[in-house]
Amino acid sequence: MTLKHGAFNLSDRTYGLFKWFAILGVVTFGLGLLLAPQRALSSFLLVNIGLLGMGLGAALFIAFQYVCGAHWAVALRRVPEAMCGILPWAAGGIVITLLAGKSLYPWTSEHAVGMKGVILSYPFVLARTIVFLAIWLLLIRAIVRRSRLQDQNGDASLSASNTRLSALFLVVFGLTFWMACFDWVMSLEPEWYSTMYGVYHFAGLFLGALAAMVLLVVWLHRVGPLRHVLTEEHLHDIGKLLFGFSTFWMYIWFSEYMLIWYADFPEETGHFIRRLTGGWGPLFVANMVITWLLPFFILLPKSVKRNPNMLVKVACMILVGRWLDLYLLIYPSAVGHEVVTFGVVELGMAVGAPGLFMLIFIRSFRSFPPVPVSDPLLEASLHHHQ
Amino acid sequence: MASVHATISEPLILGDKSPGQVTDDVCSSLERGPHVSWWIALTVSSSMLLLGLVAVVYQVLTGIGTWGLNNTVGWAFDITNFVFWIGIGHAGTLISAVLFLFRQKWRTSVNRAAEAMTIIAVICAGIYPLIHMGRPWLAHWMMPYPNTRGPLWINFRSPLVWDFFAISTYFTISFVFWYLGLVPDLATLRDRLARGWRKTVAGFLSLGWNGSFRTWFHYETVYLLLAGLATPLVISVHTIVSWDFATSVIPGWHTTILPPYFVAGAIFSGMSMVLTLMLIARKTMRLEDYITERHVGAMCKLLIATGGMVTMAYATEFVTAMYSNNQYEQFAFINRAKGPLCWAYWIMVSCNVLSPQLLWFKWVRSNMAIVFAVTILINIGMWFERFVIIVTSLHRDYLPSNWTGYVPTSIEIATLVGSFGLFLTLFLLFCRFVPVIAIAEVKGVLNHGKKPH
Repeated sequence: MTLKHGAFNLSDRTYGLFKWFAILGVVTFGLGLLLAPQRALSSFLLVNIGLLGMGLGAALFIAFQYVCGAHWAVALRRVPEAMCGILPWAAGGIVITLLAGKSLYPWTSEHAVGMKGVILSYPFVLARTIVFLAIWLLLIRAIVRRSRLQDQNGDASLSASNTRLSALFLVVFGLTFWMACFDWVMSLEPEWYSTMYGVYHFAGLFLGALAAMVLLVVWLHRVGPLRHVLTEEHLHDIGKLLFGFSTFWMYIWFSEYMLIWYADFPEETGHFIRRLTGGWGPLFVANMVITWLLPFFILLPKSVKRNPNMLVKVACMILVGRWLDLYLLIYPSAVGHEVVTFGVVELGMAVGAPGLFMLIFIRSFRSFPPVPVSDPLLEASLHHHQ
Repeated sequence: MASVHATISEPLILGDKSPGQVTDDVCSSLERGPHVSWWIALTVSSSMLLLGLVAVVYQVLTGIGTWGLNNTVGWAFDITNFVFWIGIGHAGTLISAVLFLFRQKWRTSVNRAAEAMTIIAVICAGIYPLIHMGRPWLAHWMMPYPNTRGPLWINFRSPLVWDFFAISTYFTISFVFWYLGLVPDLATLRDRLARGWRKTVAGFLSLGWNGSFRTWFHYETVYLLLAGLATPLVISVHTIVSWDFATSVIPGWHTTILPPYFVAGAIFSGMSMVLTLMLIARKTMRLEDYITERHVGAMCKLLIATGGMVTMAYATEFVTAMYSNNQYEQFAFINRAKGPLCWAYWIMVSCNVLSPQLLWFKWVRSNMAIVFAVTILINIGMWFERFVIIVTSLHRDYLPSNWTGYVPTSIEIATLVGSFGLFLTLFLLFCRFVPVIAIAEVKGVLNHGKKPH
């Protein structure tokens, strides 16, 4: 089989832009640490949760494809694989946040009692964090490595072994991810709890990763590597997933909010009251509008899901929504809910994160063939039609 | 690439059938007289139904004081069975609508029966709230219409009312979806049957189907739209059922994960019930070529996935209760595992968490006897899940002087037996009078896995 794909025509200007973004992020973080450490650390947590979510979402996408035996996205698999490149960085960032950002977590100074004290004891949280991150990273690395190894030897049994590893990853992820969300984000407000929290984070991270994939595949189609590879049929399928998971996110959001609103327990409603008062209200509503309401109606027609220009716009909107969602989860708890805090630190780091992500993505993507050339399902994926 | 081609598209239907053979295979069992085993099964199931009928008449005439409820446990057997049956229904919509949207072609062999099961299970579920009203002849009061009862309206803020709307909408759409899918097959029956009442009925119900391009085009458009409508509906139904509990302030009930947890649990229980029924139908109706090991395997994998979600929810709920430091939350969950009803909890855990783990192994998935046993265990486990959630959260409330137990009365058990009787009777009738396999859809996947000409 001969495979046609374009060369990667990446202009120095684009690459430079990403570099400057990343530098801007690092500089604002540094300045923030000196001038407003609480904000800088909160933003650092936000950025790392966001970036980790991109990597984990991409890994979940790969794992779902393997366990379902799906072929349609095989030709695009190098994109989520390269997205996983951010994982070690983001994982490091999370550990650094826990080590250096004790001021974010009230339970590190005022120790909780009872079972909460056991679950939220600092060494235990740190140990869990390291164990969870290590297991996820090892499994994801094993999957990505096997996929790349297949390029060289064309061994179909690597697909089978990746299917098994993917199933294992999904099980491990399901059993650990919610706990990690409790530790890293929910415990910013240690008195509040919601069993939905992990599911909510999963919905957000998978939606965010899908939106990022839309941008990346369309961009890679335009700059070369996925030319002759990416078709409208692939876009249609990713568009459907984007539509579906945007709605799933809203479903989870609504279920959590509605139940807490309805039961009206003082210990639970505080979380939402802090996000509805002091200027947060409009952002709270905007989050729903740009993450679900607009994408839902825009993505409904079939033609939109097959139109790269429209898909890119919706994906950008969803990614802004993803940032806003994490901002709303983290800032009112960690920085303060009296006023909306947004300034150079937040903006600089919000721009820096995608810059850093793209630098790592490009490096990772360039090191390997842009499509899994020896995957037994590649041919079916290239000729995929609805 | 021949070997590669084979790995992605093994034939869905075995035996290298021609379209004509498919029609013959599916229709012949309808045209033959029923087998003696069918009569035996019908006798057993209709006797169960009769028993239930007697019990229902008795409790409607006497009042629901015939149940084992008490002041503390005000909700138990009735709602457990209601949630159980509603849950069973979900797999049908998953297979017929969600898997259709995901273009899972293997669904064609099982969707007809699964959808029929949905409709029947929703009927079984609907009986319970009707009885629980105490005066079922006033059931139409659930509907908000201008009436002569003064300012007395239904409580729009009650999830029980939302249930009524959600379930009636879901039932309507599921029924229309199922019937629409049947139309081409009814036309096939109409064309095959000799003159007689069955031909007349099939002719009437097939709505003048003529198999033209236009007819197919309209059919497929509506089918897709209905699939798109049924998908959010099925999620809404069990979400609202979960709200019956989660909107309350009862420890063990008020937990935000309940909606997706209930939806996953419903699909888990429904899929296992579909498998239970299909494994029997496959054997007795000689449908091994249509419902192959591959179909069973795919459904087993769905059981692992949904069972995993349920397991995750159990773990999240337990740990969050501990984390909450709320002694009532903590007690509710410790009481489940260690209290007087802990046997029910451990049945739930071993059936729902442990037994599906067997399905990880391919040799298990291809051994129909073991798969059948696992599905029975899951059916039992999922019934107990509802029992555990409902009864153990209630029976020991805030005041230890209120603590009671709960034992179902013979009337309640007879009602449950009766609902199984109704379920099986209707399913047996379905197998006799309607093509159990979507003939037209299966013909569409006959070429799957064959080399293109």
